[in-house]
Amino acid sequence: MEPGDQQDDLVAQEAAARDYQPQLEGPLVGKKTPSTAITEEYAKADPIYVQKTMVLPQTYSHYRPVRGDGSCGWRAIGFGYFETLIKRGNRAQIEAERLRLESLNEFIENVGHIEPYVFQDMAEETFILLDRISDVIDNQESAMAELATAFNTTAVSDSIIYHFRLLASSWLKGHTDDYGAFITSDSGCEGYCRDTIERPNIEIDHLGITLLVNVLLKPVGFVLEIAYLDRSPGSEVNTFRFPEEANNQHPSDVGPIIHLLYRPDHYDLLYLADMDLQVHRVDSLSHNFRITEAPMAFHSFSAVGDLALMIPNFGSPPPGLAPSILDVAAASPLSYTPSPGSSWVSSPFTDPIQQAPPQTSTLPATVPVVTQPQAAQPRQQQQLHPLRFSEYCQLPKYVENDTWQEPTFQTSSFKNSHFNVAHYNNPNFQPEEYKPGQEEYEPPSLRNSIRKRSSV
Amino acid sequence: MEDNQNSAPGSVPSGKLGGARKTADPGQNAAKRLQTELMMLMTSPAPGVSAFPSADGNLLSWRATIEGPDDTPYAGLTFKLSFEFPSNYPYAAPTVLFTTPIYHPNVDFSGRICLDILKDKWTAAYNIQTVLLSLQSLLGEPNNASPLNGEAAELWDKDPTLFKTKVMDRHKDVEED
Repeated sequence: MEPGDQQDDLVAQEAAARDYQPQLEGPLVGKKTPSTAITEEYAKADPIYVQKTMVLPQTYSHYRPVRGDGSCGWRAIGFGYFETLIKRGNRAQIEAERLRLESLNEFIENVGHIEPYVFQDMAEETFILLDRISDVIDNQESAMAELATAFNTTAVSDSIIYHFRLLASSWLKGHTDDYGAFITSDSGCEGYCRDTIERPNIEIDHLGITLLVNVLLKPVGFVLEIAYLDRSPGSEVNTFRFPEEANNQHPSDVGPIIHLLYRPDHYDLLYLADMDLQVHRVDSLSHNFRITEAPMAFHSFSAVGDLALMIPNFGSPPPGLAPSILDVAAASPLSYTPSPGSSWVSSPFTDPIQQAPPQTSTLPATVPVVTQPQAAQPRQQQQLHPLRFSEYCQLPKYVENDTWQEPTFQTSSFKNSHFNVAHYNNPNFQPEEYKPGQEEYEPPSLRNSIRKRSSV
Repeated sequence: MEDNQNSAPGSVPSGKLGGARKTADPGQNAAKRLQTELMMLMTSPAPGVSAFPSADGNLLSWRATIEGPDDTPYAGLTFKLSFEFPSNYPYAAPTVLFTTPIYHPNVDFSGRICLDILKDKWTAAYNIQTVLLSLQSLLGEPNNASPLNGEAAELWDKDPTLFKTKVMDRHKDVEED
């Protein structure tokens, strides 16, 4: 080989490395998706992942995929912040937030030492979004549409995220005594901000989350809870809350919670099993219940903005608590079917009455909330879940475990033995032998809805 | 709503882009920021460096000059550079090239530059002027640990006289494109 060729090769290689862009798919922030998609994604993974993702949908019915481009943690928290403001449905609170963030501009300039020309355009996008949300806050669907559009418009999304990055880095620069000890690099706080927080597409780390929570979420009373899906021992994801003092408190004692799912190097948004379902069920079982009591109570509490603190488990993202939504639901509970674009209630859950297997109605009154996702699960699997349970998936564990319900396919003599032919009635039943050539069942809707994770 | 409509000369026309937001023209935020930087360069220029959008009126493409600092092998020489800004500037670094041939440890023969702030150490707080000043200081203080031109890196310490000769041999003024 000629030396010249070698040089060319080197140049070509350098060029390839320089121009490398990771393959990124999907929107910056996706649609709310049943979290059984995560279960499926991990069906063939390590048993710990299988176990943890199997039970995940019972706690968190939905998740919202965020693109893994290096800013997903910032993006997820930012989206969760706006989304929680929308769910609170309080125009005064949104306007107060705008004023608060506006006043922080001075903080970024004087403490963060960032010149106004750098951050003003960025902050402006945050304010525009807050204004737009505030304008349509009476219609949560419109407000969510504004939010989704903004976060999926690269220029807007980048600006808002960088604004939040600068808020976090300024917060660090203003509280070096509190955080300096956490910075291990030689370059100190300034260097950490420059090399980690202010670099676009560098993922948020623990300190970054702490800073962002303290400057953005804590003052407005929001709590961030991260579910860590990793290979640590245990049957469920571990959770941790920011700020730290929120960790040992009951969910009803802390403010609204933004849930994130962490998988190594990636963050998505999570949503607790939907409270709207409970509202619907209760409504159908006792017709007058909500019409007489609930709207009144909700109106009065939301007026003082403390609703989430008053109702156990209501402090978390799922409930659509705006009085307007509740009124609509109260007026015609069964005809209330949010459009597919609505992120409040996904279509598989729009009419729980019809979906719920009969046995759930005999359960104690408090149970339906918890069992709803499970009750809906078999049907969902039938529809979009070609996942097959074999002995290698540790199925017995889940069958014996009372958190996993598939009771209809048992008989008294054979119980849930795999010899029990009652399993043939299970829509998910498939013979153990699997021949890929013969059986190609792939619902197209599923293929489109599953986010294919880019390896980060 | 259309608060930043007054910018982006020469950038891609909007309209075809889906989405409700009419101002979401790719490069529009970049153009707005670059206009600000242009104003700053004109009102408070730094000695020895200058920059201006290229003649075709595309704000995402600039030409710049650096004067070689005194007490360096580049003293008295003027170097031209090209800046190409991505549409998501300032969230990504510009592509900067020496258009004047230069013999320097951290610049290859195509004019490409090895400088961390133009690669992974970029932050939105950098701007054209800080990049130019960083490059100017790179002329006097090359990073010989990661050279693009290995010979130059060696000669820098070993044989300053030969280095200087090579600098003068390589340098030639280029026509404005």
